[in-house]
Amino acid sequence: MANRHEAADGGRRLDRRNLLATIGAAGTAGFAGCGGQGATEPSGSAGSDSDDDGLFPLSVRLETGGKDERIRMVELIAESLQQTGYFETEVETYEWNAYLDRVINPTYRENGYLPAIGLSGTFNPHSFCNVIHNSANVGACCNLTGISDPELDELLDSARYGIEVAEDADLRAETYDEIWRTLAEERYTSFTHFSVATAVTDAAVHGFATWPFQEGLFGYALYAPQDEQVAWIDRERRAGDADLADLVTGGTLTGAISTNPGSFDPPHSSDTTSTMVQNLLFEGLVVNDAEGNVHPWLAERYELRDVRDVDRTAYEEYMRVVGTTAEGAVDADEQVIARHPEDDPAADDEVRVLLPEDAREAAADGTYGMWFRYELHEGVEFHDGSELTAEDVVASYEYYENSATAPQTFDSVLAAVAVDDHVVDVYAQVPDAEAERELPGIYVLSADQIADVEKGGIDPREGVTPIGTGPYEFGEFVDEEYLEVSRFDDYWVESRGVAEAFAWFDGPDAFPDGPAIDAVEVEVVPDDATRAGALRNGEVDLTYDVASGTLEDFDDADDFVVHAVEAGGYDYLQYPVNVEPWDDPRLREAVNHLVPRQRIVDNVLNGWAEPAWTPIPRIARGAGTADYDALEATVKPLNEYDVERAEELLEEMAAEYGESP
Amino acid sequence: MSLRRFVLRRALAVIPVLFGVSVVTFGLFHLTPGDPVSQVVALNPDVSAAEEARLRERWGVSGPVWRRYLEWLSNVLVGDFGREIRTGRAVSGLVWRRLPETIALGLFGWVFAVAIAIPTGIYAAVNKGKLGDVASRVLALSGVSLPNFWLGLLLILVFSLYLGLFPVLPPSRLPLYHPETLRYLLLPGVTIGTAAAASLMRVMRTSMVEELNAEYVTAARARGLPERTVVFKHVLRNSLVSVVTLAATLTAGIVAGSVVVESVFNWPGLGSELVRAINRREVNVVMAITVVTAVAVVLANFLADVLYAVLDPRIRYD
Repeated sequence: MANRHEAADGGRRLDRRNLLATIGAAGTAGFAGCGGQGATEPSGSAGSDSDDDGLFPLSVRLETGGKDERIRMVELIAESLQQTGYFETEVETYEWNAYLDRVINPTYRENGYLPAIGLSGTFNPHSFCNVIHNSANVGACCNLTGISDPELDELLDSARYGIEVAEDADLRAETYDEIWRTLAEERYTSFTHFSVATAVTDAAVHGFATWPFQEGLFGYALYAPQDEQVAWIDRERRAGDADLADLVTGGTLTGAISTNPGSFDPPHSSDTTSTMVQNLLFEGLVVNDAEGNVHPWLAERYELRDVRDVDRTAYEEYMRVVGTTAEGAVDADEQVIARHPEDDPAADDEVRVLLPEDAREAAADGTYGMWFRYELHEGVEFHDGSELTAEDVVASYEYYENSATAPQTFDSVLAAVAVDDHVVDVYAQVPDAEAERELPGIYVLSADQIADVEKGGIDPREGVTPIGTGPYEFGEFVDEEYLEVSRFDDYWVESRGVAEAFAWFDGPDAFPDGPAIDAVEVEVVPDDATRAGALRNGEVDLTYDVASGTLEDFDDADDFVVHAVEAGGYDYLQYPVNVEPWDDPRLREAVNHLVPRQRIVDNVLNGWAEPAWTPIPRIARGAGTADYDALEATVKPLNEYDVERAEELLEEMAAEYGESP
Repeated sequence: MSLRRFVLRRALAVIPVLFGVSVVTFGLFHLTPGDPVSQVVALNPDVSAAEEARLRERWGVSGPVWRRYLEWLSNVLVGDFGREIRTGRAVSGLVWRRLPETIALGLFGWVFAVAIAIPTGIYAAVNKGKLGDVASRVLALSGVSLPNFWLGLLLILVFSLYLGLFPVLPPSRLPLYHPETLRYLLLPGVTIGTAAAASLMRVMRTSMVEELNAEYVTAARARGLPERTVVFKHVLRNSLVSVVTLAATLTAGIVAGSVVVESVFNWPGLGSELVRAINRREVNVVMAITVVTAVAVVLANFLADVLYAVLDPRIRYD
């Protein structure tokens, strides 16, 4: 995260004035200077004042923060608007945290500014539409301009929840297609581009590949039979000159990462870097391949045993009444699994909630949305030599209660129950089309270990060595400096053989039974240039997060390989639909046609991104659309750079508002 | 006034300075938009406003600034710098771990500065007006003018990337006292010491030139003492007074420089930690490092004052 940008306090002070200007204007004649710009516009000059009577030129204030590249992107969009002569643009940039504070705020939508921000999505198509358009996320992340469209809300919910979509993948894909078409037509938001994740390796690293999402960087590249992916080091040859048959085992991979892996306690960390290193140590019940398909992993097999058409009111009889705090939160020490949909902790003094014990009871009585059964592999060993049992899985779910990631986990999970030593039942609260991926989305920890530590206490700096079942075991960690992990000798996949372990594996015989690389050493190097320099100087074999300009150099060099994969990140510009004249869809359509997506990718990102012709990237197409190409064909024309169409619309509006520029 | 009273008075003056530094830093930091809690929860749509308020309360980032300051101050007075918000670990442990790294780097830079400045200064003064003098003055001027981040990057580019003589990354696995560490210290140490060396050299030269023109030098020469004895035994000693005091004051520059230089070289000291802490809005870490730095600078200045008084009996303590 770049933090080179001034937190302009002046910008803050401007808010109130602009807000008043906006309200005043909206109250009078239906023209609005979109935030007035009262503080910066020269007023009362002797020249022609005719501009004041019409809509155009319209003052537009674009705001952004964070990465340099995002700021340059916003400046490019502003320039594109300015050139039409219909807009007076102004770009305000903020330091990233100050910016988040500013835009994730319920009053921000009243300002009439156009915020630009970047988020990262997942294989779940919901991550590309719900957070930024559902009215439930106004004032939170990241419906910044207060988009509140009841029909859209309903459509968004119906794409993920309910028995129909949970049982019918085609219906679900069609529902999402409808969402994408609605979004493309309403243009509440302009998606600009989808990120491309890159990693650069020394040519001695063979068979390397990047995972679509950054958190999988190391674990995925080192050993991922679901995609027949394994990396090895061979300093005698150059990457590309050798294939699986020439695989060399052993060696140490050294990498440089940009931020400290702050936590080794999976539920108590949500930052990318921590997840990235946790990936080496821990495993889950299932695993995703690079296309988002789910394969059983620690579970030998799993099945969906039952789906019931319930919503959260079904748990009414299991709920307890608890008080609320003065700030409007539920006052409970235990994890709140679900809340009664009719109760509102902000308004009521008491609310009905479902607590873990009662949730298990409900599941046992047959009140649940979905019932999955996971049968664990036998003989899987943890790093401390103990064997994985159903108890570990159940204890892990309980360990996720009241953790940093609990809101995501218990958004869908109702309860996890051990049936016998190697069988676990996991229940979902309501029929959820994402359940297959989301329900088992936890790392399995050792029950012995978590019984001994406080929540968040799996921390090698405090003397608690993380214990998982993963291919690497924890070695050494010095905060903000380096991390070492080494191959786990009793790794279960290796003892069993990959073809034996995974019934779904259909890779070549030469594919190894475990990772080829013996140890991984990771240096924490925050500075981009230093990281690139260390790679160039041969001090590390791998790095990522390299500036797009430097990537070109590495790409041209023979001794390095740049690995790129379309990732889940996206940037978007949101329109202040609650402020005139942005409530006019023609204006949004015009501006959307002036967003130079291709130029942003080519010039600002040096080609290391994909223009967002649709609101969903290709990698999320699995569950997110019936036919990606058809979707793109329909939606792309609506998002292409088209000055003529934009000017036509603006002209039409100008005529209507009584004045042309 | 006696020397003891002078020292005592100087020592007492340290207190309001430290107090002022802490008030200003604390105030600025807390009045800037964006706190660590909002950073932690900002992108998580599932955290309610109430939970956020609870977190704020817990981490002491709610309530009026003055009250938070008093709470902070009362803890610091008993040696408790609080905890890091992200990790919950004690800040003092962090500071103690980073401090030796910064001291090692600063010391190296300081020794480098003195080792370069004094001989060059003497040489320039003795050869005043000649080519060597002009050359060393030009060098000093460039040394003062080069921004240290630029110098650092240039040194990395030339000595690490082009010539491959030095590593880019710091020795994360070597203990600080290992002889190999010197190789890693060289580039950042030179970067941090260059500006100090340049200003020190100029002062050395000026005071030396001044002393060389003094009457006692003429007297010594008239008595037939060899030039070597005149320069090194008489002149050097007298002209060192201002240099010694300046060298102590330069600590402030070195400490300030460490913030930039440590970031450029990824050196795991207090300076790079400070940058990181500011970006993450880690209030307690920023405050702890600021206080430690302020103490170091104030102590150095205090030492300079005392040294000055001790070395030069002509100075009156008032």
